[in-house]
Amino acid sequence: MILEPITYKGGLYRHEEMVELIEDLGGYIIQLQQIAGDIIILALVPKEDLDLVRAIAKPINGEVKVSPLVGTEIAVVSMSLEIHHLPHATCDVAEYLRQFGAKTNVIGLARGFGKRIAQLNVEERDVINEHDCAILLYGNFEECIRHKNPKISRGITVPIIATGAPDKEALMKCIDPPVEGYVGGLGRLAHRAKRPEELAKLEEMVAEVSRVLDLRRTEIYKDPLSVAPPRLMDLIIEKVEAIHEVTSPTPVTVQMAGLRVKLPYEVYADTLRNLELEQGVRLGDIADVTPSRMRTYIWVQVRPFSETKVMV
Amino acid sequence: MTGIEFFTSDCPEKTGGDYYERIAADVLQDMNLLRVISKLHVSVDPTVPLFIVVGVIRKLPGIVKVHDFASLQVQGNRITLSIGNETYLAPFLKFLWDRYGKANVEQPDRWTVVLTVPEGGAEGFEELPVYDPREDIFRDLMYAMICIQPEGFKVRKEAYVDGKFYFVASEDTLPEDVVERQVREKFALIGEEL
Repeated sequence: MILEPITYKGGLYRHEEMVELIEDLGGYIIQLQQIAGDIIILALVPKEDLDLVRAIAKPINGEVKVSPLVGTEIAVVSMSLEIHHLPHATCDVAEYLRQFGAKTNVIGLARGFGKRIAQLNVEERDVINEHDCAILLYGNFEECIRHKNPKISRGITVPIIATGAPDKEALMKCIDPPVEGYVGGLGRLAHRAKRPEELAKLEEMVAEVSRVLDLRRTEIYKDPLSVAPPRLMDLIIEKVEAIHEVTSPTPVTVQMAGLRVKLPYEVYADTLRNLELEQGVRLGDIADVTPSRMRTYIWVQVRPFSETKVMV
Repeated sequence: MTGIEFFTSDCPEKTGGDYYERIAADVLQDMNLLRVISKLHVSVDPTVPLFIVVGVIRKLPGIVKVHDFASLQVQGNRITLSIGNETYLAPFLKFLWDRYGKANVEQPDRWTVVLTVPEGGAEGFEELPVYDPREDIFRDLMYAMICIQPEGFKVRKEAYVDGKFYFVASEDTLPEDVVERQVREKFALIGEEL
C-alpha cells in the first residue's frame, strides 16, 4: 500500500468524520492541531483513496492538499542565534517547510558564524544527525561559504541542503565536499521574505528538499523498514499510557526511518524495548532505542527487514 | 533609499554586495536612521575580511538645556521647576541627583520638581546642559552598523568626528595604517575628507 502524505484544513464542525475516514482507510494521523475554530490534520492516506478523501472533505468545507514533507523531521541550521540570522531568513525557511507538512527544528549553532572562526561542536553535530535532513543556511559570500562549509558539514551523516546568496551554480562550485542539495539566491536578509521572487526561492527550496528526501525514500524502499514509523507511532500511542501525559504538540515525532518519543529515556527506554508489537515481536527486536541528544527524549531507529527478517 | 542623498557600496562579489546594500537599507529603515544620514558608503571585502562603513550625518539638534523644557521660580536657595516636556525628565532627574544629591531633589507631582541648591546655585541654572542628542544618535548608529556587518567580525573600530562617522570591523586584527588608508579612500568615494 503506497501512502500519500496530505494536509487537511477545515473547520471544527464534523472534523471527526475525516479522522474516522483516515483511520478506516488504514492511514495514519501524524498530527492533529486545533487552532481556534480550525483543524489542521497532517496524515498519510492510501494513494488510491485520495479522491475519496477529497470527496468526503468537500461537503464539510475542508481542503485536502498533497504535502510531500509530511512524516519528516528537518533540521534548519542557523549559523547563530544573533539578530544577523534570526528571525530572517531562518524562520522564513522553517515556517515555509512547515506549510508542506514537515516538522522543522531550528538549530542555532554556538559558533557557526565567521569565515575563519566557524565551527560545529559535537552536540550540535549529534542533534543534526537525528533528523532526516539538514538545511544549512549560509550567508552572502562565496568566499565565506567556501571556507565555512568543510567545517560546518564535517561529521553530518544526514543529507545536507545548502542555501546561500550566490546562485546555484556558484554554490555547487564553491562547496567542497559536495552536498546533496543546493538552493541559490537565499542568503542573509534583514526583512521577511514576502516579495514574489523571494517566495519563489522558498518554493525552490521546498522542491529541492523534496527531491533530496525522495532519493532517501527510494533507498529505504529498496530495503524496507521492519515497521513503518507511522504504524509504530500508532502502536506506541495505543499501548504506552504515559505518552498521553506529554503536552508537546507531537508527543511522538515521525521521521522517515524512526521516531522521536518525547518521554524521558532513563524511565521509559526499557518499557519501549519490551513493547510487544505483534505476536511476540518486541520493539527492541526490530529497532534501536537510544537516548536522544535533544532534551531527555528517546530516539527510536527502525532497522531494515534485511537485518531483522521481521515485518510488522 | 528615501532620506539618504548619496548611498553607494562596493564589494568584490556582486551578489553579496547587492545583498548587503539591501540589508543596510532595511536595518537603517527599521531603526529610523535614514533621516539622520545624508551620505553613506558600505564596503565589504570577504577576502580580507573587512567591513567598512563611512558616512556623513545631517545637522543634529543642539544640546538640550533646562530652559528648553522647564520654567523655574527661585525663592532663596529653593528652585521650583515646572516641567513642560516630559521627554527629558528622566535624564534631567539623574543629572540633578548626581549634582545635588537625592536628598535635595523632590518631585511632589509628575510635572513639578523642587530643588534645594547651595548658596548662589540658582545663578545660570537655566543654561545647564541636560541631554546631548548626538550621543544617542551615534550609539544607535553604531548598533545599526553592528547589525549590518557580517556576523563574527569582532575586531571593531568606530569614530565620529565633525558630523562624519566611520565603522570598521573584521575577523582579524589589522594594521592601523591599513585601516586608516582604507577609511580615507572610502570617504573620498563619497566626496568627503576625514
